[in-house]
Amino acid sequence: MGHTATPPPTTGGLTATEHRLSNGLRVVLSEDHQTPVAAVCLWYDVGSRHEVKGRTGLAHLFEHLMFQGSAQVPGNGHFELVQGAGGSLNGTTSFERTNYFETMPAHQLELALWLEADRMGSLLVSLDEESLENQRDVVKNERRQRYDNVPYGTAFEKLTAMVFPDGHPYHHTPIGSMADLDAASLEDARTFFRTYYAPNNAVLSVVGDIDPEQTLAWIEKYFGSIPSHDGKQAPRDGSLPDVIGEELRQPLREEVPSPALTAAYRLPHDGTRELDAADVALTILGGGESSRLYNRLVRRDRLAVTAGFGLLRLAGAPSLAWLDVKTSGDAQIADIELAVDEELAAFAEHGPTAEELERAQAQLEREWLDRLATVAGRADELCRYAVLFGDPQLALTAVSRVLDIGSEEVRAVAAARLRPDNRAVLVYEPTEPSADDADAAAQEGAEQ
Amino acid sequence: MSETTDRGVAPAMDFHPQPQAGRPRPWAFPQPERATLSNGLTLLHCHRPGQQVIAVEVQLTAPLEAEPAGLDGVATIMARALSEGTAKHDAEQFAAELERCGATLDAGADHAGVRVSLEVPVSRLPQALELLADALRTPAFTEAEVERTVANRLDEIPHELANPARRAAIALSDALYPAGARISRPRQGTEETVARIDAGAVRAFYDAHVRPSTATVVAVGDFTGLDPEALIAEALGGWQGTAAESYALTPITADDSGRVVIVDRPGAVQTQLLLGRIGADRHDAVWGAQVLGIYCLGGTLTSRLDRVLREEKGYTYGVRAYSHVLRSAQDGSGAALLGIAGSVATEVTGAALTDLWQVLRTLAAEGLTEEERDFAVQNLVGVAPLRFETAAAVAGTLADQVEQELPDDFQGNLYARLVETGTVEATAAVVNAFPVDRLVTVLVGDAEKIGEEVRALGIGEVTVVTG
Repeated sequence: MGHTATPPPTTGGLTATEHRLSNGLRVVLSEDHQTPVAAVCLWYDVGSRHEVKGRTGLAHLFEHLMFQGSAQVPGNGHFELVQGAGGSLNGTTSFERTNYFETMPAHQLELALWLEADRMGSLLVSLDEESLENQRDVVKNERRQRYDNVPYGTAFEKLTAMVFPDGHPYHHTPIGSMADLDAASLEDARTFFRTYYAPNNAVLSVVGDIDPEQTLAWIEKYFGSIPSHDGKQAPRDGSLPDVIGEELRQPLREEVPSPALTAAYRLPHDGTRELDAADVALTILGGGESSRLYNRLVRRDRLAVTAGFGLLRLAGAPSLAWLDVKTSGDAQIADIELAVDEELAAFAEHGPTAEELERAQAQLEREWLDRLATVAGRADELCRYAVLFGDPQLALTAVSRVLDIGSEEVRAVAAARLRPDNRAVLVYEPTEPSADDADAAAQEGAEQ
Repeated sequence: MSETTDRGVAPAMDFHPQPQAGRPRPWAFPQPERATLSNGLTLLHCHRPGQQVIAVEVQLTAPLEAEPAGLDGVATIMARALSEGTAKHDAEQFAAELERCGATLDAGADHAGVRVSLEVPVSRLPQALELLADALRTPAFTEAEVERTVANRLDEIPHELANPARRAAIALSDALYPAGARISRPRQGTEETVARIDAGAVRAFYDAHVRPSTATVVAVGDFTGLDPEALIAEALGGWQGTAAESYALTPITADDSGRVVIVDRPGAVQTQLLLGRIGADRHDAVWGAQVLGIYCLGGTLTSRLDRVLREEKGYTYGVRAYSHVLRSAQDGSGAALLGIAGSVATEVTGAALTDLWQVLRTLAAEGLTEEERDFAVQNLVGVAPLRFETAAAVAGTLADQVEQELPDDFQGNLYARLVETGTVEATAAVVNAFPVDRLVTVLVGDAEKIGEEVRALGIGEVTVVTG
């Protein structure tokens, strides 16, 4: 077991108090006066898993519409008022939630609360066809820029669709399809707001240089009169068998710079001790430049230019382990797969060494400290544990849970989950370059 | 209330007027303490309570221009190879020891110099500093590891060329700067030059440019109960080397006569835009006004460019204008790249460029408004406490200031200067930064689909190169 970087306070110095308004809005406050800034974070318990067939991408498109004005905030006023107050802001949409956040100079906190309340209570006053049409185009360009116009850009979407079968709420990703984005109507957006944007379907956290009593009074003042609403249906059940039962495989021939092997494995749900063990396993196997896959594929066998594992934590469906290997030189995917399988099999049999466990836990602890280094990071974690697991206090002990994992648990979860019959695989092979292209490429270097 | 499914458009909440700001609490850009160790190494350190992850930036005066002819990329390979084995540890052991500290170590080379960045939880700082010191003092540079580092870099190049934004940056540098100038060529070398780099070349570059007198260490974080100066001295005080020589760097110049380069990507669903030229850097008195004016033009989604291109027309996910310091020095040899970048749907490329030029023309004709200027100042100055919340952000800016021969209070004074900058100054700076007839435009996209409409725009002669 690894020694910890910050032994006594397993909470990393975090504290949090919880409150609930009569309309059901849950509030989490955390006080820290070291820098005169305050983070406001609002998680709505709605994500792409709540979307229905033919309307993929609606949760994310709707997130954009939340920045298009509400009763007292015209047009882009939300952005303008926050930025003009010296704040920063954004929103993001995932499978399981939609979050909105502002980080403000501490003396501008009240403004951010007023703005969030205004759109939670009165968005539909301003929502119109014009802003829908505009943001539909913006989101389609977001899709092109981040996925369609990038080599390997649709790997995530393809693998997700393989790991989560047709009809499963996580089968499609939050960005949605172009056809469904085109089909979304103003009435869809209105219904979406009425169903999910209610105080009793949200958690608000405020972290930083705040007076908790005053903050709570402001929250009561601005959010307290927004009516609750119980029309939300639970998302469809996302549970699946622990393992897929066979290897799902899709060969692809695309315009990519080199062959690549990407794969996704089903893992335990977020919030379980088994998933924390899997996090440690993936860190040891593929989490950095001393990981087993990096040492084997990049350093020793020289088959790859990059090789590693990532983890996508999911609470309402199996989490995903994410393998990404890009080939080096003339290396063959078959040789890479052989090496990966050997490493995974050896790990499943013998587990990690004591040194590997210590290194992985030290890395995971630093990543956690990085998230806690900003008030915005802390606010987001508090919302996450409140929305997904019903208890923000779990954020305070998350790192100690990871540090508590032992080597046999790490081995066991790898043996159970990181196996060929539990993965979806994409094998990329480049389309043949013409002779001209090859010459041109040889004369160009690269930089960012 | 609870059972209603017909929540109408009319809101049922109580409305309150927009609240007024409270009393601002004081914040100032952190001032570091400075020391020079007996071996010539310069140290800046800065205590930031609560920042448990310490950031250590090492700035080495080893500009890309110092790379030997034909060996573009040797500074990059050297920087990377610093952590690929030392006198004490081979490459795998070194990586393992770093990770045992929960640390990350990144190194890279840019036009102004080489930068090594360490981040580590404070409880393991002494062990991590020892590893950092080993990397700087006793890198092994074995034939095998350098050869592997070179091969790895060669493997990366096709991936970078395939990325539209990176490909655009390469094409712009090639078009903008004089042929033969180091800055016209890729920072990390080409396949041809990188392939020539061996352990001998890396060792020679290290011997010529890396020693305590060329190094500045910036350490930032929560040092409660610790003496950062003593810790750094313990790790790096024994490092020996000759005194630093001064470089006379070639002044950066560029040909910004208006013209267009299309990097052809048949079938691309978007066109990557990059418009650029060079202009004032941080040693120029206009820098603050330029920062302000460029923010008004394209700093955020409510700036002029996105107000039209994104929020009115929906042509893009976002277009930004920026100034990026290439090199900045007291002797005036430096410059900043002034750029406008983003991507637009292929079929609206011509329309988007037409609008973009119209935004620039309107700006030149009518200037910025007082409101725009005020908004920009409030944002740029107001976000400072947020922007510099982490140790890494503070350390990065302090190291940039050292690299650019600026005083340690430059960033703090910049905020004071922004507050004093008027609308007229900001307008003049941004209009000078982006004159409509002095912009080199790079478009990475489908030449067959966009070429004709781009030629019709009259923004300069159009050249098409293969992707």
